[in-house]
Amino acid sequence: MRVAAITDSLATGVRIAREVERLPGVDFSIVCCNLGMRPAFRRWLREFALALKSFRWRQYITKLWSYSRSGRLVILNQPLDDPASVARLKSLHCDVGLHAANVIYRDATIAAFRLGILNAHIGILPGYRGRSVAEWSVLQGDPTAITVFFIDNGIDTGSRIVLREFIPSTDSKNVRELKSTLFGCDARLYRKALEVVVSDGFHCEHNDVSKGKRYYVMSRILTSAVDSILESRTGAADE
Amino acid sequence: MAASRFAQRDSSRTILRSGLLRRRAELRTGWQRFITVKSLEQLGSNAAKVVSALSGQDAFHDWQPAATMEWQDCDANLPECLISLGVGEGIVSRPSTTKPTVLSCSDFKGLRTKARLETLCARYRYPLNIGLERESEIAEELLRQLMVADRAKLEAKAEFEVDDVLLKLSLTGIYARMKHDLRFLDALNYFYELPQRSVARLNHNPYFLAAWLCIYAQLLCAPDW
Repeated sequence: MRVAAITDSLATGVRIAREVERLPGVDFSIVCCNLGMRPAFRRWLREFALALKSFRWRQYITKLWSYSRSGRLVILNQPLDDPASVARLKSLHCDVGLHAANVIYRDATIAAFRLGILNAHIGILPGYRGRSVAEWSVLQGDPTAITVFFIDNGIDTGSRIVLREFIPSTDSKNVRELKSTLFGCDARLYRKALEVVVSDGFHCEHNDVSKGKRYYVMSRILTSAVDSILESRTGAADE
Repeated sequence: MAASRFAQRDSSRTILRSGLLRRRAELRTGWQRFITVKSLEQLGSNAAKVVSALSGQDAFHDWQPAATMEWQDCDANLPECLISLGVGEGIVSRPSTTKPTVLSCSDFKGLRTKARLETLCARYRYPLNIGLERESEIAEELLRQLMVADRAKLEAKAEFEVDDVLLKLSLTGIYARMKHDLRFLDALNYFYELPQRSVARLNHNPYFLAAWLCIYAQLLCAPDW
């Protein structure tokens, strides 16, 4: 199976590669976009800073070099939905894309992948679509989770859910920690989702959007209430 | 297990309520960041009621109409109706003798700003009509517009239609109360928190501005969030 991570930085690509390339039968590529079309100097300065942050920069460079030599590292200089970028994606003949860039995909980009593009959404679908869903889940007393599904061109409306994993919020003291924990699970859950996709008799759960709501970015006052809720829970657990 | 979940929900609600009441306390003086003295003068005889509703002690007035409520008409104009709701006065209404025109969400989405504003003003002249079941898709669309396109414009300090944004905020607030939906209340929270430079232009329509803030003040002290 050919899989490509669509990332907004090389560091993210390498992080996902470490997890997904361990899967037998998976031929993995990294597609790195230039979000916001940064000028070259700013783009590469950012990449350099992110590489340094990884603290494993030797491994990082070795991995990038190996991907680059084998033609599995694609650097896009045009926007992702530009015809030239779409043509480059198609040339990879990928079965599955992994969403790891802060973009909304057009149909042509999605269609460049035979099965589609997977997204690790940090909320329970179909209940929680949109933004700040981890915070909204805590505020409304619902469990926090990650749902991996095949996207379409809407906001978390893709109809095929591959898997869902509940991740407790009880260890997080605030919203920032909670989101960091949830976002940090993406590579592992992509690996699990790919295992499911290649398994015999695989079928998707239907994402029935009529059973959920779309959420939006949360205000400061409610975010601060969620911080207090999380803090009170970790405080109670410590006692 | 279930008992602990109930306890957790209770504790979350208490935290949420106290946050909203803190915001209400802040709004008692914070409204002056939005409504200038000049705008207040333009409110005429309503100015005293607005100041009292915003600066006074919490006086929550439930607008919840009967569950069997049908489409209503009223004689007052829309700004008066919105101010009346905000300051806790009733609106005299009667069941409509004609059926409201069908407005699909896709048609509504396709309207340009001016046409959209005219449609909203005519359709929700009696503002509580927004809470009817049949209007829920339009209400969702109002929320989406506010939190996606309008929010982006205000944050980027780009041009925006003041009347359109303010009316949507008031209708969203009314829907929040009638449907008990926190997402809708939070749109008001979000716009209230925007920096001064983003909201300065809202003074162009003192009536709609005052109505939004008064409705917001009422929502914040509603006892059942």
